This record gives sequence, C-alpha cells and structure tokens, in this order.
Amino acid sequence: MISLVELCIDAACKTRETVDKWRLQRRSLDCLPSPLADALLRRLITRRLLHPSLLEIFKNSVEEVDLRGENSVDAEWMAYLGAFRHLRYLNLSECHRINSSALWPISGMNSLKDLDLSRCSKFNDAGINHILSVPNLVKLRISKTSVTANGVKLLASLKHLSLLDLGGLPVDDASLASLQVLKNLQHIELWDSKISNQGAAILNTFPKLAHLNLDWTNVTKLPDLTSLECLNMSNCTIDSILKDGKAPLTKLIFSGSTFLNEAETLSYANTYFLSFLDLAHTGLDKFFFLSKLKVIEHLNLSSCMMDDDSVEMVACIGGKLKSLNLSGTWVSSAGLGILAGHVPNLEILSLSQTSVDDTALLYISMMPSLKDVDLSNTNIKGFLHQGSSDLDSLSLTALQNLKQLQRLNLEHTQVTDEALFPLSSFQELRYLSLKSPSLADISLHHLSSVPKLTKFRICDAVLTNYAFDMFKAPGTLKLMDLRGCWLLTKEAIVSFCKNHPQIEVRHELVTVLPFEENGLHHSSPSRLTSKTMQAARKKEQTSLSPNFVDQRTKYSRDELLALQFMSLPLASSSEIDDSILEKQLD
Amino acid sequence: MKKEDTVKLISSDGFEFVVDKEAAMVSQTIRNMLTSPGSFAEREHGQVTFPEISSTILEKICQYFYWHLEFASGKDREFPIEPELTLELMMAANYLHT
Repeated sequence: MISLVELCIDAACKTRETVDKWRLQRRSLDCLPSPLADALLRRLITRRLLHPSLLEIFKNSVEEVDLRGENSVDAEWMAYLGAFRHLRYLNLSECHRINSSALWPISGMNSLKDLDLSRCSKFNDAGINHILSVPNLVKLRISKTSVTANGVKLLASLKHLSLLDLGGLPVDDASLASLQVLKNLQHIELWDSKISNQGAAILNTFPKLAHLNLDWTNVTKLPDLTSLECLNMSNCTIDSILKDGKAPLTKLIFSGSTFLNEAETLSYANTYFLSFLDLAHTGLDKFFFLSKLKVIEHLNLSSCMMDDDSVEMVACIGGKLKSLNLSGTWVSSAGLGILAGHVPNLEILSLSQTSVDDTALLYISMMPSLKDVDLSNTNIKGFLHQGSSDLDSLSLTALQNLKQLQRLNLEHTQVTDEALFPLSSFQELRYLSLKSPSLADISLHHLSSVPKLTKFRICDAVLTNYAFDMFKAPGTLKLMDLRGCWLLTKEAIVSFCKNHPQIEVRHELVTVLPFEENGLHHSSPSRLTSKTMQAARKKEQTSLSPNFVDQRTKYSRDELLALQFMSLPLASSSEIDDSILEKQLD
Repeated sequence: MKKEDTVKLISSDGFEFVVDKEAAMVSQTIRNMLTSPGSFAEREHGQVTFPEISSTILEKICQYFYWHLEFASGKDREFPIEPELTLELMMAANYLHT
C-alpha cells in the first residue's frame, strides 16, 4: 500500500515544472521534518531533477545527502552543501569531479558526523585539512583516494572517529601507529594497504576495535584483540591469529587465504558465537574446528578439500545453518544423505562443480527451507533408475517437496527436455537457469506454465523460431536470456520483443531493453556529464522530463525497432556483415 | 449513517469534515486518538481538532482515506495531488501516519 507521504513525494518530483510549483514555499521547506526532506531530496536526485541552486532550499531541513556516483557534483554543489545547517551524513563516493579544494566549504561543519569520499581519486592530502576542521566526525571513508601515508597521519586529531576506511591507500606501519590516539575506533578498513605484521601488532591499542579488514595485505600475525567481532583476512597468508580465544567473533572471512598451520589456527579462536565463516579457496582439508560453531548460519567451504566423511562435521552444526556453499568440493550424493535431516533452516545450497547425481535430489528434497539451489556443472541427468522397475523416474519431481524453492540453477548438467517436465508445477520458482545444447522446443513449452517465473536463462538450446513464437511467457517474466540459441533469427527475436515489451531479451543478435509504461528508467540512472545536463536543461519545453531526454520517448516503438537494425554494438564483426547483407537484401 | 460510525475532523480554520470512522482510522494517529484511554474528549465526542492543518489539506486527506479503502479493495486508480500542495500535505500525512 502506498502511503500518502510517498504519493506526495511522487507528485512533487514529477517534472521540473512540478518542482517549480513548490520550490518557493520557503516556510514549509524550512519546517519539513528531516526524514521527509531527506526523502524528497533523494527522489530529486534519482529523478535527475536536482541541480546546485535547488540544493539551497533544503539548507534548513536536510540531514542526509547521498550523491554517490553523481558525475556532475563539483565545487559549486559543495558551496551550497556547506550551508546545510543540520547536515549529518554526506556521501560523495565516486563523485569524480570532487577534488581537495572542492571540500573547502565543509570545514567547520559541526553537525557533520559521517563523510564518505571513497574513490574520489582527485582528493589528496591537501583536502585532509578541510576534513580536520570538521570536529565531530565519527565515520570517515577515504578508500581509493589519492591520500598518502602522511595525509593519514594527520587524521589523528579527529578524536571522535569510530569508523575509518583507509582501503587501497598506501598506509604504512608508521602512519597506523600515529593513529593510536584514536581510542574510539571500532571499525578499521586497511585492505590493500602497506601494513605489515609490525603495524598489525599495535592494533591491540585500539580498545574498542570490533571490525577489521586486512584483505590483500602482508599481515600474517594478529595480536590478541579482545573486542574483535568481524575479521576479513581474505587473500592473506595466515600464520597465527586470535590465539587467546577471547574475541567474541561473529564473522570471519578468509577466502583465498593460505593457512600456514592449516586448521590449527582456527581451533584456538573463540568461535562459539560465529555466525558467518568464509573459507572458500583456502584448500583446507581438516574440519575438526567446525564442531565448536554451534550458532553458525552462513558457511562457505567452496573449493575446500571436503569429502563425504567430513560432511558429518557440517551435519552436527547444521541446526541454524541458512546458507551452505559446497561448490568445488569432493562431496557426493552420499554426503548429502548425511546432511539431509540435519539442516532444517537451510535456505541456500550450492553444489556446483561437485560429482552429485540424481540420487542427491532425493536428499535435497528433505531440506524443507531451501529457496535457492545451485546444481550447475554436476552429474544431474533428471532421470533416476529405480531398482525394482525397469522404468526410469523423473528425478526433479522430488524437488516439488520444496515449497519455497525460488531459484534453481541446472546449467551445464545433462538434463533433457523430458526431465524438465516436473518444473512446470513449481509454484514459487522465480529464477531458472539452464544451459545445454540438448534442450529443445519442448522445454520452452513445459516452462511456460511456471506461474511466477521472473528471470529465465535458457542458453545454448536448440530452439526454433516457431516454438519461440508460440512461447506463452508467464506474466511475471522480466528477463529472458537466450544467448547461444543459435537457431533463432533476429526477426523472430525482434518480433518477440515487440509482442512482449515488458521482457528484457538477451541474445547475441539483439539487445532490447524493456519499454516501461511511462518510458522513464529511473532505477538505473545513466551517468550524464554536466555538459549534457546543461544542454538538456535548456529544453524546458519537453513535457516529461526536461533535463533527461529519454531516447525511448523520443522515438515511437516502431521507429526504435527499426533503429535496432542500424547499430549492433554487441554483435561480432561477422554478424555485422550479415546484418549489412540483410539490409542490402531488403 | 449512524453518529457513532462517523468522526468529525476539524481544520485549523474551523471547517468540519464528517467522515466514516473506518476511513479516518486509515490514519494511525487518528486511530490512536479514538481508541487510546488517554484521549477522553476525542473518544467521547468522536471529534478531533487539528490546529496545524488547513481545510484545503484536511479535505485532501479525507479524500485519501477513501482512496486508500478503495485501493485496498482492489480498485487501482490514480490519486491526483496538485504540486502546490505536496509539501504541506506531506507534512500533515507524516503527522497523521498515513
């Protein structure tokens, strides 16, 4: 149900003209409660109706401004934002025109607590001085900027900082040491920095440190960190960490790391409260440490050397498990037999690139909460030979027990057309991925009756134009991925798109975006340069959206379809030759 | 329409709007005023005064109440809002939790 507040924001942000109808109501604007003002400003941004001078009307009401990724944001915008009396949160990440001097207007802003300048590559040490005069800053993100180790040292005067994101900066041990005075730090991001074990050794001087990211660093040893809850040491070489067993850990990420002492390292840590553990691609082969993980919810063992014997360990701690990734392990169907019955809450299961076959489907069907099952690159055939009779049964029928199944991936399996028949009665299935040259027209027919199908991938299949034309797309279908279906012709796909304007179709020959009812596409605002913005702004007479002329509103649908024949950006050169040839034939 | 099934909503400029209780209850704030033990006057007399809301806005809000009920029962038509009213209406809607 749409609230009246929501309807008002919609009505206020329809076009530039509607904005002009209320932008002079100063008294109302000044007394707008900040959640309303924030929401109104956010909508103006997504509707691309915001420009620097319009910011001025929000200076007495807005507390949160999120301009991430807006290429037009520059020093002029900052001049207006500097006058915002109650500004508490400002996100300028990926605003590429923001440089150090553009930040000058925010100096002295007492209200500002949370500032994000991530990936503003023109922001450097010179800009740090402007930030230092924002006395109450609590959260600061400057990852992937041009700040150097010297600039980082200066941050020591921001006494209230509790979060500091220095990812991708050349922070060294000395500059980290100079930040030791920041006793309130709870969250430090040091990924891809120059920190070594020497720098890591002083991390215990931050008494409140709960969240630490050392991804892609040379750190191999960590001191005892008594309040640490979340640790990311992906892509590291790990020698000894968390030895005292005091840190109340809830989340550990080690994907792609190498353990010098193998699983020993993990057996010392206090993992009794751990809810998230990512060990993907660590190559671990012993799993005795798992037995302590009584409340684990998310477990990623992808590409670990887990086999059917060690699956028992997972079964023992399966009670609260919500997602389990066993892709690329040695687990087979027998291993799933051990898991079945022990994972009542499991929602996401990945068995991609394992040797599981159709018997696994029977065990999977005994995991009642499953919503998302990935069986790609497995030995699933869709048929199960049953001992007593000579007839094979359709093994996917077993999955009908999974009343909540929404997502199923059967790419690169050996399923055939007949084997897919049971899927047609899956009531909640929304996302289905198939990729196999042994699928043909009849699959398309079966799957047209899946009631809630939203995204449908059927790649490399041998589909004919006729079957595609006859396909009765479920009303819910939003995306159809037909890449590699080589038998389909461009005409067939274009005519399908014409008949189903709400469906986005992907194929080598055609790229068509869905036509939305109002012809506007706000969910993914394209990045306009300020020049085009200014040029577009002059076209005040355009009725729908004066500063953003949507190409799809400019042309009629038929004209657009005709245009498709003229440019094929994704087609290979041979395909372009073909299309030119076709045009000549026309 | 029985009296106990209706409520009277009074705007800052003294205009009275008599609406179905069911409709007025779309607003969580009005629902609380009419049902909570603390607000005796509102409950007893079935009337609520809004010293901050003008008649133009209150009228629009009453229209929304009925639109909301229709929408809930499956009728999908647009609720038109004049751009000039959006700010004031937004604030009133926010106050009324609708």
